[in-house]
Amino acid sequence: MGVLYGLASPGSAVSPAAESIQHGARSVVSALERSQALFGTKASAISDLWKLANECADAGWDGSDAAPINLQAVHNAVAFIRALPGLLPLPEFAPEPDGAVSLDWIVSRNRLFSVSVNAGASGRLAYAWLDGADRGHAVARFDGTTIPARILDGIRAITAHGNSAVRSR
Amino acid sequence: MEILPSGLAEIVADDEDLARFLTSSGQFNSTMVKHTAFLPNPKDHATSVFRHGAAPVDSLWRIGLEHAAVGRTLHGAAICKAQHVRSALLEVQANEPPQRHADIVGWPVQPANPEMEKAQQKELAMNIAQYAQLVSR
Repeated sequence: MGVLYGLASPGSAVSPAAESIQHGARSVVSALERSQALFGTKASAISDLWKLANECADAGWDGSDAAPINLQAVHNAVAFIRALPGLLPLPEFAPEPDGAVSLDWIVSRNRLFSVSVNAGASGRLAYAWLDGADRGHAVARFDGTTIPARILDGIRAITAHGNSAVRSR
Repeated sequence: MEILPSGLAEIVADDEDLARFLTSSGQFNSTMVKHTAFLPNPKDHATSVFRHGAAPVDSLWRIGLEHAAVGRTLHGAAICKAQHVRSALLEVQANEPPQRHADIVGWPVQPANPEMEKAQQKELAMNIAQYAQLVSR
């Protein structure tokens, strides 16, 4: 990495070939930095998710009959986080009483989008949103690698105008 | 009108405060209660609440520690009005004992389509949570 930074630093190129190498090195460094920034943020989010799973690992964590957060649901939520495009803000996490994990993009109390990730093998995800007077709910299938376009569009629509409460990146 | 052992009327009035105790740090953030705090128990399809407002706070926390957070951290409470539950087309029914206890009922149930059931419940819970006051402990 140090060699790459040296090659990418301005003023070191003295020939067209060297300029080409410098340009290439800059591109590689830029891509690496973007990747590390993104990975670091997602790694932090995934760490928070596991902390929540640990906090709600016992049945009755809600003082009633809530199921413990299901480990497979956590694994599915991790896959969802990894599949999120880099430009989207990352969600907050919340436990649900049936053992699922809620991924919440919260801009304000009446402007939010939420996806429920469960342990089911079908990949069917429940989601709902509130956008002022507009609201709705639906189900879409996540195959473990590609997030359904309807969910991505919903997250973008909610977070497009102001994202004060969603996880900063 | 029938009076319950707590001294409260059996019928929960629209302007009554309802407290939902928060036992996970994930049920709220720095500014608000998350909708998941109001999702129903999957076994009985009801959300357990107590007929109590934000004050007096000593009484609020005593109920929470005795009935909701036994052996767990009590982080706070979400306070909402019964009318906000009803405006989400759900109902509040007194259910004592313990005293002051009530249930939010009427949640959609679809055994053949549990994901759609959850999606519907999340939307209704969002409608309640947007009016809830976060009282931190």
